[in-house]
Amino acid sequence: MSTTTPSPTLAFAPLLERKFGEKAAPEARPAADVPTIAVDASALHDVALFLRDDPSARFDLFLDLAAVDRLKLAGPASYRAGERFAANYLLYSTERNEHLRVRTTAPAADPKLPTLTDVWWGANWFEREAWDLMGITFEGHPNLKRLLTHNGFVGHALRKDYEAGQRWLCTEEDVLQTDLAAQTETPEDVFETLTLNFGPSHPSTHGTLRVVMRCDGETIVAAESECGYLHRCFEKMSETHTYQQVIPYTDRLNYCSPMINGSGYARAVESMLGVEIPERARAVRTVLAEFSRLMDHMVCLGANLVDIGALTNFWYAFQAREEIYSLLEACCGARLTSSYARIGGLSNDVPENFVEWCRRLVKLCHNQIREVDGLITKNRIAQKRFRDTGVVTKEQALAWGFTGPCLRASGVAYDVRKDAPYDWYDRVDFDVPIATEGDNFARYLVRMEEMRQSLRIVEQVVAKLPNGPVNSDDYRVVLPPKEMVYNEMEGLIYHFKVVFEGIPVPAGEIYSYTEGANGELGYHIVSDGTGRPYRVKVRPPCFPLFASFEKIIRGGMVSDAVATLGTLNIIAGELDR
Amino acid sequence: MPAKVVTVTSPTLTFGQRIYFPGILAGLAQTLGHFLKNLLSLTKTLPTIQYPEMRRNYSDRYRGRHILKTRHDGTLKCVACYMCATACPADCIHIVAGEHPNLAYEKYPTTFEIDLLRCVMCGFCVDACPKDAIWMTRDYEMSYFSRKDAIYGIPELTEKPSDTAADGPGYGYRPYYGESPARKAGEFEPSGLAVLPVMLARNAAINRMPPPPKPAAPPAAKPAA
Repeated sequence: MSTTTPSPTLAFAPLLERKFGEKAAPEARPAADVPTIAVDASALHDVALFLRDDPSARFDLFLDLAAVDRLKLAGPASYRAGERFAANYLLYSTERNEHLRVRTTAPAADPKLPTLTDVWWGANWFEREAWDLMGITFEGHPNLKRLLTHNGFVGHALRKDYEAGQRWLCTEEDVLQTDLAAQTETPEDVFETLTLNFGPSHPSTHGTLRVVMRCDGETIVAAESECGYLHRCFEKMSETHTYQQVIPYTDRLNYCSPMINGSGYARAVESMLGVEIPERARAVRTVLAEFSRLMDHMVCLGANLVDIGALTNFWYAFQAREEIYSLLEACCGARLTSSYARIGGLSNDVPENFVEWCRRLVKLCHNQIREVDGLITKNRIAQKRFRDTGVVTKEQALAWGFTGPCLRASGVAYDVRKDAPYDWYDRVDFDVPIATEGDNFARYLVRMEEMRQSLRIVEQVVAKLPNGPVNSDDYRVVLPPKEMVYNEMEGLIYHFKVVFEGIPVPAGEIYSYTEGANGELGYHIVSDGTGRPYRVKVRPPCFPLFASFEKIIRGGMVSDAVATLGTLNIIAGELDR
Repeated sequence: MPAKVVTVTSPTLTFGQRIYFPGILAGLAQTLGHFLKNLLSLTKTLPTIQYPEMRRNYSDRYRGRHILKTRHDGTLKCVACYMCATACPADCIHIVAGEHPNLAYEKYPTTFEIDLLRCVMCGFCVDACPKDAIWMTRDYEMSYFSRKDAIYGIPELTEKPSDTAADGPGYGYRPYYGESPARKAGEFEPSGLAVLPVMLARNAAINRMPPPPKPAAPPAAKPAA
């Protein structure tokens, strides 16, 4: 499986050893996983600075923090005492196109780690989440509060000794406003300013996001955002389901492009298993992932343009989306909750008229993109609303952990489809659009161009769509065909074992990443060798985007905040999981 | 770094674009064009579906309400093996097994319940069934007056002639056995002015339908202890 192509030797390893000795040592990993260094907690902060600043390392992008409670994982006794919690920091170097995992441990009693917020600001919300769900304290963190659960929550939900059935009432008073008053630079301003509550059910939040703003007239002087209203315990539930059963839940992460989530998850498990999927399945996954990206961008742009007053584009964009949904429904049986990917392939072959249908859709989408383009791109009103608002510079975008279209709009050409090609992306010709301005208009333009590139990819893949099966013939992983199940004892036994015991994924760990519609969608999966995942950590691409939202809108107008929220494309389903 | 990168730049506006009015007129012309095209296209399909007079034609993989298939003698094909209940990610299937009086069938479900409010319509039960006993239909109009009504038992789930009647939902997601799984699927119903009489007739038929039953009165409140 060509999921990851890590360099076997880390270029900075000798220097790392010279500076930190045994406190930071590279670990042997399987080729499918990202390279890892194990770091002692006492040296974590210095190692992080080294990794960010040293010219041989230059890990400028903080991707994810996946905390794992190893209490019930088979291993040395230290998993239950001094090394119970593992914190996996995922980093990326845009210069050298390399991923890196930095692993450190924290003890069972009073787990503490130094914060990395001052090294990469993007670590901010990831550390809050790790504190909220895993109970690891980050010393020196500026705002270590609950994030996904509410203030009345007792305990840390993702710990293995947390009983999942407990319920906690949310009764505590909201503290956002008082925090905000403290945040304004001159306390006397509090009399002059007004606190504005934006969301969680504001029409332009497209989901359930909340931002509390402190406004001086129309200008935002301070803001604080809050999420968690749509938290559905995806990660905790994954631990009690088999690997196959998680697939319907992945559809509900980014519900605008469910196919990408499903195939990204399936690919992560497949690379742990070492299962190769047939060419046809890979090609179909590529086509449907690109169509999903198109749908996602169309929802994003259509809804965003409604927010700033251009209603017609919503219908132009959504018509194409509805037609793509029809194709998805013919493939898998549902318009939104596709559940099409399976570990080892797809649930069904595509319909007979798939190729001609795709070609018809490509034509329709081109048409709809042209309509939106004609109304908006050279429209003075749209330009006035979008240009120079919500500006994110290249340095800020990297520091805040942006990926995807928002990072590319700030001038960094990082695209997983190009830098670590999977499925069929290495066989098709497409461009990565970037812009340098980093404002809302740049994000709009990048998305428009990406849609055209997606259509190019679809055309090329459909022209070469191979015939053959869509499922692997490894019946430890895939349900055998029904002919075998109904008529042969052996087929029935395989069927039985897959359904009842799940897929036996070998013990291990993987970070597998996919280019989601909003950026890098990462699955950090830990397996203990049973049919159920020990831990699934999703890196939702819009998590760092929404974390920095309060920084982007500061100093701008309230109406610009609406336009910015739209172009960042925050999807509450994957933000809150 | 990617091999091919294109830089998109914001276009600069010409004088005509900066003075608003030509742009407004061009925009109006575009929407007017759509209006006329939709009004006059008698054979082409309109994007809007006038539900409930019109319906979308779903493919025969659509994952709707479940049905339990029967043998020729009318007994359920289900042998109560619990495979569907195990495969269900939402834990919404409840089965109690019993011994069948007919020795050839051995085991059968005395209770088979699906809580359709819990169900996520993923079709895993259909994939998991080793006896071809549970299928799905294209019925998506499921609404209930109480949560209890949403729990379907054997009488509601057993396949009925109305499921496959001409105006019924028809079969949806099912195991493909002995036939090619690649089928043609999913086209729109025609729309436009040509089908206006059909739509009016359907509208009249829908309005003639009896009103839904009133929800059962809640049980009388217990006197305070």
